[in-house]
Amino acid sequence: MNSVVLFVLVPFVTAIVLALLNGRPRAERAIGAASTIALAAWSFMVLAQVDADGIQVSMMGGHAAPYGISFVADRLACIMLCLSTSVGAVALVSSFATVTPAQEKYFFHPFFQIALLGVNWSFLTGDLFNMFVAYEVMLIGSYGVMIVGASRAQVRQTLMYVAVNLVGGTLFVTGLALIYATTGTLNMADLARYTADLHGERAGIVTTASMVLMLVFALKAAVFPVFFWLPDSYPVVPSGMNGFFAGLMTKVGVYSLLRVFVMTFQQEGNEIVTQTLLVLSGFTMILGVLGAVCQWEIRRILSWHVISQVGYMVMGIGLTANPAIARAATAGTVFYIVHHIIVKSSLFLLGDLAEHVTGKRGLKNMGGALVLAPVASAMFFVAAVSLAGMPPFSGFLSKLLLIRAGLDGGNWIIVAIAIVTGFLTIMSMMKIWSYAFWGTPEAGTTAPHSFAMAAPASLLVAATIVLGVWAQPLLRLADATAADLLEPHAYIQAVLGNQAVLPGAH
Amino acid sequence: MELPLALVIGLLFASGTYCLLRPNLVRMVIGFGLLSNAVNLMMIVAGGYSTASRAPFVNDAADTTGLMDPLPPDIVLTAIVINFAVGALFLSICYVVFRDHGTDDPDRLARAGFEDEA
Repeated sequence: MNSVVLFVLVPFVTAIVLALLNGRPRAERAIGAASTIALAAWSFMVLAQVDADGIQVSMMGGHAAPYGISFVADRLACIMLCLSTSVGAVALVSSFATVTPAQEKYFFHPFFQIALLGVNWSFLTGDLFNMFVAYEVMLIGSYGVMIVGASRAQVRQTLMYVAVNLVGGTLFVTGLALIYATTGTLNMADLARYTADLHGERAGIVTTASMVLMLVFALKAAVFPVFFWLPDSYPVVPSGMNGFFAGLMTKVGVYSLLRVFVMTFQQEGNEIVTQTLLVLSGFTMILGVLGAVCQWEIRRILSWHVISQVGYMVMGIGLTANPAIARAATAGTVFYIVHHIIVKSSLFLLGDLAEHVTGKRGLKNMGGALVLAPVASAMFFVAAVSLAGMPPFSGFLSKLLLIRAGLDGGNWIIVAIAIVTGFLTIMSMMKIWSYAFWGTPEAGTTAPHSFAMAAPASLLVAATIVLGVWAQPLLRLADATAADLLEPHAYIQAVLGNQAVLPGAH
Repeated sequence: MELPLALVIGLLFASGTYCLLRPNLVRMVIGFGLLSNAVNLMMIVAGGYSTASRAPFVNDAADTTGLMDPLPPDIVLTAIVINFAVGALFLSICYVVFRDHGTDDPDRLARAGFEDEA
């Protein structure tokens, strides 16, 4: 038992306290923000500890893995926790400017803490069944955040989001049942150990069963062909919170793909799954960006870009099918996830700000955000060109890593798609820029609260500049993470210790 | 015991999928309930259940042959709780949609857009 479990426990306790404090918005804001910021600060300390001293494991109730429930903080989990808590804190603080009293009355703050709890838990869990439970907790929190305020559009889109995720959850347990029937375990360290030297018929069954999980994670990550739910759902999320949704919720799916198909399943034939993901990633990138090009609303354009950007990360996971470039591709994926979460959240927060100061939602009516909020507009510009992959920002480096891995592996088609997608991204970002930020604002529009919305996002924009200019620490960390994932001896050792191979279906 | 269970699971999956695809919100809730039960039964079968299995941890544990694997029932118990909670939530959202939009046909809900947002 050690302290990694606090990443789940603190949001849980905070959610209960906030629910009891309902009706006192000031206290709720102060406690929610304080708890999330403290967790964010602490996550960086844990990352430094894990990077220096190795993986931290916590067994619930003291039961040994693989039967007990394990929480494992390795480098990848810690990087994701740093992102989830700090982006969560930024999104929460900037949502204070626009959240309405009615939304706060209907448990906006507790729902956010529950969503954060689920996100953190799904990064920490060392067990596939607990990943399902964490997904459900995260989703229940996100349903609450999405529907709070209950406008007609919110209710309608939440219904679709709930229905899609219910089917996803059902498929998740189906996949788990198939894997349990074949391998006798759902603990990821145990599965990695068992599948490492698995060949023949049984390996084929495990690959088939894992395809069901691939579908579930692809649904959560909004990979082609199961991305249809995203572009309609994310625009109805309350302003501020959509930075958290777009930045983190889909990345939980990408994280699961990385954790499960790069680290956990090592059997002969697993490359079929990753090659499938490589093909799907090409469609995801190009269809996502084409969807964005034809939209006329900032939130919708950015939502479609979430899909095309997920394509890049899944491309990195797909490239691991080739062992020669697996390490470079995994490191590139980790770097891309960090870059994407930071940039996407800041774009959503600043795009909301542009809608807020101009008081319009459709791009064709907007204009003049540059005059009304010059600093925030400059920040949006930086984040937009970073998303498109311009140097010197983090987007350039993260795309460079993935494209170089693709070229080294001879995957010309996917590299061509990635580059074309980058150009189309610039195009649709320039559309937002020229319609929403240029032009003259309508007379009488003021810029209320723009500072309160822009100040938290400035941290994220600063992060994309720093990661582009001074990338060496993150590059080293990403490379070490890739090595951990591809050779999970340390992970298995940390979770299972020196136990003999267990009896059962093995 | 596997064949009858397999037939029941197949029937539940088929009818659950059928209900889920109907253009009717309440049938979608029912379909989800059927699907989750199909999956729970599947989890039990995955644990190697047969009528000859003995309950674990009940008597003296010296003889461990033929014991039921206790982990799948644990998983199913958790899944039942989660599905119950989420199913109730789904039903309540369906009710709110019916109240706000006056229809229980998801196809007739207005296409996504902000034209009607209050």
